[in-house]
Amino acid sequence: MSYLLKQLAREWRFLLRQKYLVVLLVCTFVMSGFAVFSGLSEVTQQKQTIERLKAADLTDLTNVQHKYEDPGSLAYYSFHLTYSSPSNLAFAALGERDIYPWKHRLNLLALEGQIYESDAQNAELAQAGKIDFVFVVSALAPLIVILLFHDLFANERTSGRHDLLVTTAKSYFALWGARIAVRLIAVIVCLMLPFYIGTLLSHSALADVGFVTFICVIYIAFWTALSVWWGKNASSAPRVASTLIGFWVLVAFIIPILGDLVINKTVHSPKGGDIVLTQREAVNDAWDLPKKTTMDAFVASNPQWKDHVDMQSEFEWKWYYAFQQVGDEKAGELSHAYRDAAHTRYQLAGIVSWFSPPLLLQRTFTRLASTDALAAFRYEYRMRGFHKSLREFYYPWLFIKGNPPKAALKNMPSFKKTMLNEMDEPEVTGVKLKENLSVN
Amino acid sequence: MSINNFSKVVIVAKDEWRYWLRSKLAMTVLAIGLVLTVASVIVTAITMMELSHTRHELQATSDKSFVDQPDRHPHRMVHYGHYAFRTPSPLSTLDPGIDAYTGNSIFLEGHRQNSAMFADSRQGTALTKLGSLTPAFIVQTLAPLLLILIGYSGISRERESQTLSYLLSQGTSGATLIAGKGLALLSVVALILTPLTISALFTLGSGEGLLAVASFVLGYALYLIVWVLLILLASSVFSKNSGSFTALAFVWILLCIVMPRVASTTASTAVSSAGKIETDFAVKAELRKLGDGHNTNDPAFKQFKQSLLNKYNVSSIDELPVNFRGLVASESEAKLTSVLNKFAEQRMQAELKQTQVSRYFGWVSPMVAIRSLSMIVVGTSIETHHRFLRETEQLRFDFVQGLNKVHVEKLSYQDDMNRNADTAATQKARVSAQNWQILQDFTFNVDSSKARAQRSIPAFLQLLLWIAVLLGGIKFVGRRLL
Repeated sequence: MSYLLKQLAREWRFLLRQKYLVVLLVCTFVMSGFAVFSGLSEVTQQKQTIERLKAADLTDLTNVQHKYEDPGSLAYYSFHLTYSSPSNLAFAALGERDIYPWKHRLNLLALEGQIYESDAQNAELAQAGKIDFVFVVSALAPLIVILLFHDLFANERTSGRHDLLVTTAKSYFALWGARIAVRLIAVIVCLMLPFYIGTLLSHSALADVGFVTFICVIYIAFWTALSVWWGKNASSAPRVASTLIGFWVLVAFIIPILGDLVINKTVHSPKGGDIVLTQREAVNDAWDLPKKTTMDAFVASNPQWKDHVDMQSEFEWKWYYAFQQVGDEKAGELSHAYRDAAHTRYQLAGIVSWFSPPLLLQRTFTRLASTDALAAFRYEYRMRGFHKSLREFYYPWLFIKGNPPKAALKNMPSFKKTMLNEMDEPEVTGVKLKENLSVN
Repeated sequence: MSINNFSKVVIVAKDEWRYWLRSKLAMTVLAIGLVLTVASVIVTAITMMELSHTRHELQATSDKSFVDQPDRHPHRMVHYGHYAFRTPSPLSTLDPGIDAYTGNSIFLEGHRQNSAMFADSRQGTALTKLGSLTPAFIVQTLAPLLLILIGYSGISRERESQTLSYLLSQGTSGATLIAGKGLALLSVVALILTPLTISALFTLGSGEGLLAVASFVLGYALYLIVWVLLILLASSVFSKNSGSFTALAFVWILLCIVMPRVASTTASTAVSSAGKIETDFAVKAELRKLGDGHNTNDPAFKQFKQSLLNKYNVSSIDELPVNFRGLVASESEAKLTSVLNKFAEQRMQAELKQTQVSRYFGWVSPMVAIRSLSMIVVGTSIETHHRFLRETEQLRFDFVQGLNKVHVEKLSYQDDMNRNADTAATQKARVSAQNWQILQDFTFNVDSSKARAQRSIPAFLQLLLWIAVLLGGIKFVGRRLL
């Protein structure tokens, strides 16, 4: 044991004496630290935004409920906040949250006209991408590892020490094993330490932290093994590194780019614009159509209201909301195809990512942190469910009961309540989600 | 430099090429680089042309369906609304920039400013998070790496194989040697830039300004020159090939991979910009003071009503020669729009400020500088998107007010008030579909090439500063090569 420690201690002293190794490791630590710090502040900002929105939303809703009595106006002027909070692990993998919207305000009007609104962040910053922990590990760590390990053998060869070292060393491990171990541990510590501090601050689940540690160590070990193996018989360090960096470019850029091209060519999706155009035409045409046409279409999908669709005047709110829903239903097929295409693309991208370790890591990580496209689909699905519960709340008042008393407004659904009800259900993921997405 | 010296430089450059031609690595790298550049130019050109075509078509369909609407109450058309599509600029075939990250269509209707919808990135595979097959990405990120792989050993190789002292003692000055190696690398730069330049020149045919094309090519040339100088410097400073290589690879990671992201992360942390939903609350509070334009009895319009009665010298709104409801709609739309514009302007300013912060990083990373320069010159930067938002807002306001004018002048107040009485009354409260011709054809054009070139001056200065500093550094070490 003490022999082993002695070897490691010697290599550790060697490492400290090589300035460029120290610079590399310090830079790794700084980058990882910056990524974790900025990730934490981003997540805090998002959480604070949601809190502010919740408060403002409540005030606004109370105002509207004071001002209006009839269910039609209430439904027209009441907006309801929907949102998707960042998870405790989101700081380490900000994922797609800068691309997919995570907050909306919905009312009872046609959903297809509202759901594509995006309260996105600065597009020019989104295009550059953010630096988060998963980026540091998946994209930068391989490069750092390559720079740390590519010259392990070549360096000794060019200095003419290689053969002497090999013949005088007690064992293979005593020489190379200790050197590799020290560098590997150093780089892992530099990478992971800021992450652990981040998990402490954000109260991440221990199981998640363990799993992240596991995949990160495997990932870094993979790149280490590759670099060591490739550099074993080489005498020119730059040559080794060139090939390794070339491999990195291949798996990080080229394969994903080609995969993306192929997927986009094979998966056809309706144009988003067509969905809203269809929906708008349907809703606007309804004004000129006989009321019966609209109501018949409405009753076809909502038979429980069939005895209450007669109208006394040329404008009634129940008809207004009925044609809103009919508009949604008309666009439904396109909307499903649009969502299905997005989902198919996501799944195909999963296959491509098996050929690209950096993307595989990002995908696994963002899934764990619920910041990927799937989480965004899930949020959209929740919004649809919430809109449905809004309709279920308003329709009895609109079709039968007339003005709701103020006390009844307490039962108005809120996004938070809808989410709480969902907690009993098992987590919807993968294929299961696809089925559920097809429910309006 | 005398003729004699120049021919020496050329000899050194030729010799470097001879070395590359014999090296498998250099040739592979060069071939890959050229294939990638050419492929990206072709693929992106096709994609962007398709996009441009689709959006032109969608715009035409949208214009037509508006004009083709049947006889209606004019206010129905205000809510029917209109779609505007952002057609990409000709040069965006070389750098799509933020095109995929902002919605490319916007729904224009009365009383509201909607955000742009359907960003392509949301239908994407998330596979191109690290990089995409666009000429911009290839030349900004990968080309420097290729240059490093080819050129890292330019001087250090001579030193390591001990030919350097021989060369210098034979009367070749350090400066000549470095210049020669530099010339060889510059010829590689020219090779990489050729497909880019040809493609850029093609856009002149589609109406792109010469100034923009020239700035674009010059910007990329300057950027790659920065890398040539960095490579020459590292190669001259380090005594070993491996040292030069490690240093350059590390610098590349920092400048090309890390810095752009640090810039955007810092910008969004340093300058917070409230989202649209959040500012909408403030907008709503301010709008509440203005009154609801659908409700003529809203107390907010009392004064307006009185001034109208005085103007036409009548005692009740029924006697007015014009439609009071239309006037209220028009009046409230104008007031509302000024409020909406105020907040929209604030939001755009905040975004611009954020972007500005990230662009300052161009002083520390030439990659950030060329990234902004490229997007600005091409017309795919945030400024272009803001221009789109402003122009579509103008379009929105014009057609809504056009419809309100029709409402005021062509529909009588009595018919309007009775519109919900029965089917016949509803039919009567309509105007002819010919009135829908008020819609102006919308084609989005980016800023003039002069304006874009002017906007890119800071980024040019950033690149020029890099070049000046590096030239100084090389001059300094050039005298002490041994």
